[in-house]
Amino acid sequence: MSVTIATINYTREDQRRGEVPYGSPVYNSIMGFLIREARLLDHRDIKAWGELLAEDLQYKAPVRITRRVQQFDQEFGTMGHFDDDYNSMMLRITRLLTTANAWSEDPASRVRRFVSNVTVWETEVPDEYEVSSYLFLTRNRAEAKDYKTLSAERDDRLRMTKDGFKLARRSILIDQVVLGMPNFAIFL
Amino acid sequence: MRIDARQDYLKEAMSQFIDLENREVSVAALHDEQLYELELERIFTKAWLMIGHETEIPKVGDYVVRLMGEDQVIVARAADGQVHVSLNVCPHRAMHVCLADSGNARVHKCIYHGWAFRPDGSFIGAPIEKEQMHGNIKSKAQLGLKKARVQLYGGLVFATWNHDGPSLDDWLGDMKFYYDMLFCRTDKGLEVLGPPQRLTIDANWKTAGEQSACDGFHTITLHGSVIDIGAMGGESDTEHESAPAMYGINLSGNGHSLRCIAADTSWALAHGKGELTPEERLEAFPPPGITPELLPELRRNMSPEQLHVLAKAPPVVGGMFPNMNILFIYSPLRDGTLGSALVLHSIMPKGPHHFEWTTYYFAEKGTPEAVKVMMRASATLGTGTSGIIEQDDSDTWPHMTESAKGVIGRTETLKYQAILGENRPADWPNKAKVYEGFGKDDAQWEWWLAYHKLMTADA
Repeated sequence: MSVTIATINYTREDQRRGEVPYGSPVYNSIMGFLIREARLLDHRDIKAWGELLAEDLQYKAPVRITRRVQQFDQEFGTMGHFDDDYNSMMLRITRLLTTANAWSEDPASRVRRFVSNVTVWETEVPDEYEVSSYLFLTRNRAEAKDYKTLSAERDDRLRMTKDGFKLARRSILIDQVVLGMPNFAIFL
Repeated sequence: MRIDARQDYLKEAMSQFIDLENREVSVAALHDEQLYELELERIFTKAWLMIGHETEIPKVGDYVVRLMGEDQVIVARAADGQVHVSLNVCPHRAMHVCLADSGNARVHKCIYHGWAFRPDGSFIGAPIEKEQMHGNIKSKAQLGLKKARVQLYGGLVFATWNHDGPSLDDWLGDMKFYYDMLFCRTDKGLEVLGPPQRLTIDANWKTAGEQSACDGFHTITLHGSVIDIGAMGGESDTEHESAPAMYGINLSGNGHSLRCIAADTSWALAHGKGELTPEERLEAFPPPGITPELLPELRRNMSPEQLHVLAKAPPVVGGMFPNMNILFIYSPLRDGTLGSALVLHSIMPKGPHHFEWTTYYFAEKGTPEAVKVMMRASATLGTGTSGIIEQDDSDTWPHMTESAKGVIGRTETLKYQAILGENRPADWPNKAKVYEGFGKDDAQWEWWLAYHKLMTADA
């Protein structure tokens, strides 16, 4: 095997522990966080979205590779479409908000993020949760009649703080090997 | 018949698409379907194409599937330890033989009728040997996968279908002297930092192709946001002073190009003004990708002439004709130090209005592991899918292609009339065409001349 392939460890259903019940207060508040986050991004309130990021953030979108099914656990590469931490995300946000030359999103795309299939698990750390969600995203630009779409699963770690939930980790597992949109000038 | 008709078309077309006298290219060239088909034949089967790096396939049997034009190829390490490039089309009934992007296989067996091939492309046989399902008209030796000609250079895998054409060395010509400073400068060489990013851009491949030939001028406007946030240095708000790196030395040969940025400019941007000799600066501020521990290797592997260039103005960005884009740039790392991002792109056509943009990140093998991780993150922040530099490019090329769809729009031209002219400094090696000063259109026009030459070459 080539040295460059990363293994993503899927936790099998029978090995999961501490699933937070659907409809419980914790589940509902996490669902609320995900909806709020999508709304802020869709409305380009990027500054407010940035405030939801934890300072030890890891934000990644590993490249996907078409593999034989025997190598299903080696579908993701060490390289990513995002490979970010808190500071680099803040730099991206600063660029979008403070310059008048961020052309890839000026004029801006019209983006909608549909978040569903949310599962929440407890972790070894109190007040931290593993969250899996599906993301379906539509992006329309200029006068294009069609949309660029993206589907992905997001594996997050959310941390409850005195200021509400913060995103501490996000792995975006995209369903495309060759992306159909020309850039990620948007956040996922 | 069809080919003859196309040749007639081509004689007409080239003079209409490219105005050699006025250095203009018709915007229609970004749209024309017949021209596109000819480009596949005349450029993408004739040129040497970069399709990966040998560190992607270190073991016997390792393979990756890549594109050469619109043709899929299997890039595999065979039992002889060598890298082989074979068309991913079964000679039996045209099924793809490899269905995954990468993996390890000693035998590539077509899932349709079971014809089997070695990683070097040679035919092993079809099922039920005694029935000889491949017939007896053609020998097994004739039934292998079509083989491309392969040459490794700095570990990069170059391939071409032009079996009788120039060697890679001749193809690169004088520019190889400069490319060596990027790809062949350490004992162990470069390695990839993972499988590449791939994405589709709704644009004609030539929009990115010609830009890679040292379009420096777009930096100060299209990438203005990167200057605004201080990532390119500069103190004044007047445009050119905001981007001192606009002054440099462009190099061009055979359509290939590189842009060298004066080391004292980079040094001043990173560390403020300071009086250092070129030799001291090379020591204190090695070229992008060279960490202090690799400096002795750099000195060993480079000639005195190459070391002189590296100390004065190392090559940092550019391209390789027809479809490779290079960025070996200084780039801040997570730990607050100034590091590097080593990036190569390939531009593979997918019809006249689309191309695949493939992005590879590299580090010298001798780089500390922790630094490699930071280099990968830094490259991802600046370039490729989400790169704060390149996301603006990927939004521009589709607009140019869209313009070519209008019947009036396509009567416009791309203009390359800002001419610096060859002006090699006295202490610069006499290799390739050398343009010193504020980067202008010279090298990009040379890209089009190389394109013109290949398109009109006798088949």
